[in-house]
Amino acid sequence: MVATALIGLSIAMLLFLLAAGLTLIFGMLGVINFAHGALYMIGAFAAFEAYRQTGSFWLALVVAPLVVAVIGALIELILLRPLYDRDHVEQLLMTFGAILVIEEAVRMIWGLGYRDLPLPESLSGSTAVLGDEVAIYRLFLLGAGVAVGAGLFLLIERTRLGMVLRAAMSYPAMVRALGIRVDVVRTLVFALGAALAAFAGAIAAPIVPVQVGMSFAIIVDCFVVVILGGLGNIRGAIVAAVLLGLVQAFGQHYFPSWIEVATYVVLIGVLLVRPQGLFSIAPARKA
Amino acid sequence: MRKGMRAAMAVSAIALATFGATVAGAEDKEFKIGGVVALSGAYGVIGEAMQKGAELAVEMRGGTVLGAPVVFDWQDTETKPQVAVQKATKLMAGGANMLFGAVSSGSTLAVMKVAERKKVPMLVTLSASDDITGSQMSRYTFRTSNPVNMENQMMAEFASKEGLKKVYGVVADYTVGREMWDNLKAKLKDKNIEIIAEDFPPLGNKDYAIIVDKVAKSDADGVAMIMTGGDAITFLKQSGQVGLKDNKEVFGTMVMDELMGKAVGDLSYGVNSTQRYHFSTETDANVAFVKAFREKYGEYPNQFAGEAFDGMSWFLDVVDETGSWDPEEWVTAFESSTYDKSVEGTKVMRACDHQAAQIGVFGKAIKGEAPYPDVTMDVTYTFGPELLFAPCAD
Repeated sequence: MVATALIGLSIAMLLFLLAAGLTLIFGMLGVINFAHGALYMIGAFAAFEAYRQTGSFWLALVVAPLVVAVIGALIELILLRPLYDRDHVEQLLMTFGAILVIEEAVRMIWGLGYRDLPLPESLSGSTAVLGDEVAIYRLFLLGAGVAVGAGLFLLIERTRLGMVLRAAMSYPAMVRALGIRVDVVRTLVFALGAALAAFAGAIAAPIVPVQVGMSFAIIVDCFVVVILGGLGNIRGAIVAAVLLGLVQAFGQHYFPSWIEVATYVVLIGVLLVRPQGLFSIAPARKA
Repeated sequence: MRKGMRAAMAVSAIALATFGATVAGAEDKEFKIGGVVALSGAYGVIGEAMQKGAELAVEMRGGTVLGAPVVFDWQDTETKPQVAVQKATKLMAGGANMLFGAVSSGSTLAVMKVAERKKVPMLVTLSASDDITGSQMSRYTFRTSNPVNMENQMMAEFASKEGLKKVYGVVADYTVGREMWDNLKAKLKDKNIEIIAEDFPPLGNKDYAIIVDKVAKSDADGVAMIMTGGDAITFLKQSGQVGLKDNKEVFGTMVMDELMGKAVGDLSYGVNSTQRYHFSTETDANVAFVKAFREKYGEYPNQFAGEAFDGMSWFLDVVDETGSWDPEEWVTAFESSTYDKSVEGTKVMRACDHQAAQIGVFGKAIKGEAPYPDVTMDVTYTFGPELLFAPCAD
């Protein structure tokens, strides 16, 4: 039971790390970023490459988000900035196109073969927790998710930068009138969302196959988390990720053939009771 | 007179033009191979390897068959049966003399039906469904690689030889996976091996930690894996992190080779798996193939490349031996063909089901020393065809 709960929470934290970037971008920019999974994949490959060059797992975890943040900023500058005043469909199509370009670029650089990001010695093996054996890496995942979640919460809710971000989302014209460059804020937000996706990819790489198309396995659950939690809401994403992670863990324990059904039962159930999601906020205004 | 001469010259010109065209036609004739394999997505890496093996087979025979140059046209099936059928139809409309592929059994079963309608021979060197050479058998389709039943027979022989008494099954939840498991369970029971539990996680499952925990806490002495590609990698990575293979024998069909080893890393060591082909086989044909492959691609051939090379070399040899451009003659000749230049020794095509009888190889992942890959399969068992194939019914 303890092992199942801890595993469920570790699944939840991975889902949260990925969903946080997606919901942040939607909440702040009003863009549903279909390419978020592709950024997760680049994160995993960037971590693999950083490890191959340096032999350091820890450096790989740092380098991957930085590299993908730059890529995210370029995507926002080149692809999305001209589209903010247009229909959401055009933004969706643009981010969908970005998936195809990113996947082809990854295929050309790293090929179609599988890659591995091995664990450092300190995170290998298992340990006993209340009588159950749990992989040490699962506990690390759990801790990393909590740390990033707390950091993100503090950044947005408790800092001046967070205040500017929230203001730029809700009252862009006013913020611009105060001399703050809203376009730069948007680029920073997209870069931060991309970095979160990349961190999720890097931290997932030791437990999943690193390969072109690796995001398809997880991106649907990520969207489920964002919808469950309420579009654009970080706190909602945390609660939804924990809910989904625990459902998947206990589902796998007691009815493994029905996990996917259970996921969608939770989604339908929440949407029936609260169609706007558990914690909903309005999307960013255009300006 | 002048009128007669003009007529004679015209006839001569037409005759020359016709003859010339015929000669030119023979010189220009090409042997077209339509490759329908996955070249993108999760199985793209397999299609790429098959492409390498098949192309090397042609290169090593001088690039010709029946005196004509061999030309490949590769099409990406995207691992979707309907796309595979569209691409195969296009290839046949473009004059393909034979089809080669596909990767997934679903695609192969779909393509072999349209190949039969067009009477175009099709060579299968990977897809394992028993239906390909069983209930859906076609006069025009031949498989030179392992079928499911053969793989399962190897699994049962391995479990028996390793002295396993209780096995836990982890099976990807799709039709072929469940069929394979039912088949394997029957074979394990024949060896007096008890199935103590089974789990059917969905295809593309992201997390196996709970199942791994259940297996670890069970009294099974072995865990049989029936899953492919990314699913197998995810299971092996996550089970390796809690040391499952230190306490249980982990074995499966096609769950580990040098390609998978790149994804699973050090956690691969000790995992047991069936192998379609292994580069360490010490036959003259294989030594020559491995040498050529390493020179061309700078790496050892994996099992997908090895099987593709072997099947293509065999089929084109048979085509050459017929000396004919009639596909019906190729098919008839291949039905009763024995290939003693196989990289795996000798393969015999069974006329009854168009399945090649051959040896089966089982291996364990070990740490490879240069020049071998970091994860290398050590061949632990080689089973003879008499153990793996039931005789054809009369």
